[in-house]
Amino acid sequence: MKREHQESGRKYPLTGGEGCSSKGKMRDEGRGDGSMDEELAVLGYQVKSSDMADVAEKLVQLDMAMGTVQEDGISHLSCDTIHYNPSDISCWLESMLYELNPCQTSDPNSSFSSIQSPILGQHPQSSIFSSAKQSQFYEDNSEYDLRAIPGIAACKSSGPTPDFQIEGSFKRLKYDSGQISTLPVKSEATDGSVPEPARPLVLVDSQEAGVRLVHTLMACAEAVQNDNLQIADALVKRISLLAVSQAGAMQKVATYFAEGLARRIYKIYPQKSSIDSSYSDILQMHFYETCPYLKFAHFTANQAILEAFAGAAKVHVIDFSMKQGTQWPALLQALALRPGGPPTFRLTEIGPPQPDNPDALQQVGWKLTQFADAIGVEFHYQFVCESLADLEPSMLDIRPGADETVAVNSVFELHRLLAQPGAIEKVLSTVKAIRPKIVTIVEQEANHNGPVFLDRFNEALHYYSTLFDSLEGFALTQSNSKDLVMSEVFLGRQICNIVACEGSERVERHEALAQWRARMESAGFEPVHLGSNAFKQASILLALLSGGDGYRVEETNGCLMLGWHTRPLIATSAWRQAA
Amino acid sequence: MAEEQKKLKFCINDHRDVLVEILKRLDARSLGVAACVCRLWCSITRNDALWEHLCFRHVSPPPSGVRTVVVALGGYKRLYMVCVKPVLSRLAGAKIGSDGRGTGGGGNGGDSDLTRRVWRRHGAQMSLSLLCVDCYERLGGRLGDASASSLMFLCEPVNF
Repeated sequence: MKREHQESGRKYPLTGGEGCSSKGKMRDEGRGDGSMDEELAVLGYQVKSSDMADVAEKLVQLDMAMGTVQEDGISHLSCDTIHYNPSDISCWLESMLYELNPCQTSDPNSSFSSIQSPILGQHPQSSIFSSAKQSQFYEDNSEYDLRAIPGIAACKSSGPTPDFQIEGSFKRLKYDSGQISTLPVKSEATDGSVPEPARPLVLVDSQEAGVRLVHTLMACAEAVQNDNLQIADALVKRISLLAVSQAGAMQKVATYFAEGLARRIYKIYPQKSSIDSSYSDILQMHFYETCPYLKFAHFTANQAILEAFAGAAKVHVIDFSMKQGTQWPALLQALALRPGGPPTFRLTEIGPPQPDNPDALQQVGWKLTQFADAIGVEFHYQFVCESLADLEPSMLDIRPGADETVAVNSVFELHRLLAQPGAIEKVLSTVKAIRPKIVTIVEQEANHNGPVFLDRFNEALHYYSTLFDSLEGFALTQSNSKDLVMSEVFLGRQICNIVACEGSERVERHEALAQWRARMESAGFEPVHLGSNAFKQASILLALLSGGDGYRVEETNGCLMLGWHTRPLIATSAWRQAA
Repeated sequence: MAEEQKKLKFCINDHRDVLVEILKRLDARSLGVAACVCRLWCSITRNDALWEHLCFRHVSPPPSGVRTVVVALGGYKRLYMVCVKPVLSRLAGAKIGSDGRGTGGGGNGGDSDLTRRVWRRHGAQMSLSLLCVDCYERLGGRLGDASASSLMFLCEPVNF
């Protein structure tokens, strides 16, 4: 209260200069009244103490309105407008706001109707109104507002009041950040939200609906965590209604998360069908083509491996990731062109058996062999058809006497091992037994493996919202939108897994770089810094994207991270055995 | 009089090496135009050596040993049309700052020439890598999808 008072005290000299000149004459009148604010009364303004907050808000509104009105739009305020009783600040502000925008009034109950402005004629189309339209289309930036949302949603469907408090405080937050809200501050009831959660809502402002959607998602997740399945059920239906009102990234993310929640509530877990693995391969291929994440992963990992292989005559790469082998042509080419000629290249792929496509690993080998022949690199291929958790060093045909330099590569694979207790430790000890020169790991930069469901849900919501946002840029440039849709399905399956599954089924157990670092260091590895070449390659890759202005490459402690605006999304790191 | 007759008798088509030297300095579009002049010019411009020069003209020193690889991947003309041209034009448009952002903030003064050369070199190497991925994908077809589209992101945006 005091702060607002001081704010209004500061504002007076500003508006006094721009506004009417007659105000100055009023300053000497020293009218005082019991209910009036005394300090202002000394200056000659009559403001009721009870109205102070209101007056302060109107001043802010007027300030913004004057700031945004176009050229010479306010000169009429000093020349043509007649100001009645300007010492009554409250009413004077009403009339000023009416002058600037006859369509908008802040307080429907105000007594300004008794004040008539004689000049109603040519008002410049106020930019308050046009910015009102802007905030209606002000959609996807609401994603970034996710950071400002309080942790636990207080929204329970039985009580609308806590909801309003949150909404009201949001409006206030928006106000202070300089935005002009179209909705009058006092009317919370315009969106017709009533205790009945299943009633369709009439939504006025899509930005507010976006915030409401996020709140509902989080409330539903909380209900699921507390095992309140009826409330959760009602909220899930509400989410689907709200999601329709959104556009673009927010709608897709909300739909996938709602699907995950629904599966969790009704216990319909996605079945592992027989065509699953080849389908997910296809999806991953489209994901590779659409957005830079996999390309970033491949190029940075290749650069680290290339530098580790400097000077070696025989090299051996052990790859945990398989998946069509698109990482390796670029590495083979780089090795072919290195000074001194290419080394002898051995590649071992490890992948789980796929019932629908038993020859998958073999086919990859044939293609790579063909390619390597074309560019003149001596290439040997072998594969191990085992699930990663069952890996033994004896399966890998390590030839210690052959003076081979070994590299181990894992792109988005290690996190799956966390679903089985003890698997990651076993694999890391196997890796140590191989004695590689370098181990490259690329993982998602997010913690989706916490013990509490609600925390995982919130983290995943933030992460995938950012990810889908980044894909939106490509929607405008890709002539083949099928790729984009497939990429979104690819990500949607990950979301479904994180939200709906548990136990050994939940394989998308992403962990942040800091956690992987701790794990690797306790397993006896030390970090290898990725050099500036990797950084430059990544930067060039990003520069080539026509839809990707928001991507950023960052270097943290020798690891490279690719992010969208301020949020890092994937991280590449390299390791070697500690001395 | 005799000198004028000498001049009139000079025909560039008789001096193929000079012609090649001149054509080497053209840009891709002009090379295409030149190919339409006559059969001789057409065959010369189709020669991969010209395109090799075009690809790595701005890269100094020119990478050695690349030729066998590039020929295996489809030739310099293909490399240029599919990769180098879009890569270099994108890089020229986007000024790359040292902080890894793709756009905005040009290089400063005297460094910019060096920076541009460095980026062109990396750009050329990147083009080669991308071409490799593209060729690999075209090998033997993929899981039912005949078109390789890993280079789609290099295509110009289509305005609807």
